[in-house]
Amino acid sequence: MSDWSKATRPIPVPNEWTKPFWDAAKQGVLALQRCQSCGHFQHPPYATCVNCISTDLTFEPVQGKGTIYSYTIMYHAGDRRFAAAIPYASIIVELDEAKGALLAGNLLDTPYTEAKVGRRVEVVFQQLNDDITLPQFRLAPDEA
Amino acid sequence: MWENRCKVAVSGVGFSKITRSAEVPLAAHALQAVQAAVEDSGLAMADIDGLATYAELPATGHAIVDGISIVSVNCMMAMLKLPNLSWHVQVETVNIGGAVQQAVNALLAGVCRYAVVWRAMHNPRGTYQNLPGTYAQGAAQFTAPYGFGGPGQGMAVAYTRWLERHNQKREKMATLAVTQRKNANKNPHAYFYGTPLTREDYLNSRMVAYPFCLYDCDIPVQGAVAIVLTTAERARDLKPRPAYIAGYGQRLAFEVAGRIGSLSNYMEGGSSSSRLTWERSGFTPKDVDVAQIYDGFSASVIYGLESYGFCKEGEALDFIQDGRMELDGELPLNTFGGSLSTGRIHGLWHIIEGALQASGRAEERQVKDVHVSFVGASAPIVQGTTFIFVDEPY
Repeated sequence: MSDWSKATRPIPVPNEWTKPFWDAAKQGVLALQRCQSCGHFQHPPYATCVNCISTDLTFEPVQGKGTIYSYTIMYHAGDRRFAAAIPYASIIVELDEAKGALLAGNLLDTPYTEAKVGRRVEVVFQQLNDDITLPQFRLAPDEA
Repeated sequence: MWENRCKVAVSGVGFSKITRSAEVPLAAHALQAVQAAVEDSGLAMADIDGLATYAELPATGHAIVDGISIVSVNCMMAMLKLPNLSWHVQVETVNIGGAVQQAVNALLAGVCRYAVVWRAMHNPRGTYQNLPGTYAQGAAQFTAPYGFGGPGQGMAVAYTRWLERHNQKREKMATLAVTQRKNANKNPHAYFYGTPLTREDYLNSRMVAYPFCLYDCDIPVQGAVAIVLTTAERARDLKPRPAYIAGYGQRLAFEVAGRIGSLSNYMEGGSSSSRLTWERSGFTPKDVDVAQIYDGFSASVIYGLESYGFCKEGEALDFIQDGRMELDGELPLNTFGGSLSTGRIHGLWHIIEGALQASGRAEERQVKDVHVSFVGASAPIVQGTTFIFVDEPY
């Protein structure tokens, strides 16, 4: 199991595009940018819909269940903020409701060796400070 | 086909000393490489009237000091004081391949006669990706908090996806690293010249960011390389045999910044760039006698081979086996050693080797009967450019 206790995660700085994402996460809700013209979910947030170029975009809550699309296991301590946690798994998750919207995360509460493409995961929330809560992932109950 | 094919050629090429870390300011490396390229052409420095580069330092968290950590066009102008300078450019979007393409365009437009393009790369002291930041701004706010620090991990998740999707094994990549090292041992300018690498070395090396082990990553070095470009007519009057530029292309696709793990980004970047190159030159992958494909990380070669059309998606790791990428193989690949073995100088060295192979000047590494020489000069994802050099106009 990776020891995250001494890792110092950099704190996300919300901007005009991303503030609704972080506001929702603070409330324990995963919300993604959705095109109101074609219904496409996308992440990271952008100025236009990457599917139809519409600018009519709104953040909508999603369930936060999905599968591991890919992963890497980090062994190199080059990023000193995470040196204490190596080896650790950084994963990419594809959500059931938002195909194509790939979210980065870590696989929490389980050994990093459990990171495998296709495994089921669900979102959990990790508070970093009073302003920022980080969406994270753990294995779904039927996988754990 | 392109009406301007074979109207511009690469003439001289030059190399600085390649060192592991900075012993002299980077400007001295760049100057050495430019002087060597001009001398190789048999020109005088006063003949040079065009300058182009891509000056980015890919290491983050370090001070950018012109002449120390980058060598800009301004820096080169200040050093050379060229009496006949008539054109210059510093590109932003597609790395050094873009600078070479701008120089081709300037020569075609007749706004300069002899252009020099250089790429100078600094290896800063301490950690290459220096990431002490307390905050994650911009696109990094969705990746850095999860430990996606440098570009390696972003590349790694795409490679994991590729391996799993195509039911492939990372161990097969040993062939690439070992063959390239063998080639580098025929290239006296390469950082790893004189240092052999075995299949066992690769398989036993430490993991960096799974699926990448140490030998899947190019080694940061301090150094510079340079080329002289001129019109085909002028090139024929110079000392070296010209390598004619039959066609080029640049990636025309770009996914939203911060989106990682997606393979489509590589495939669309590479196929859009190569399609232009095939159409402009009139060649197809089957016509290619030798290829240089950018290898900052080993997996870039895989995406290159597939997106440029040398093999089908999912087949590149099998394609490079059984001697196919050797100097006498079906498609000799990264014949100079690639960035994995020469050191991290980005794509200009790939372009140089492509030109040397086309002009029959690759010495011990020369592939027999080269007519069509292909170059993929950067990772297809963000900075991709492609080129074809030929030995004779057609």
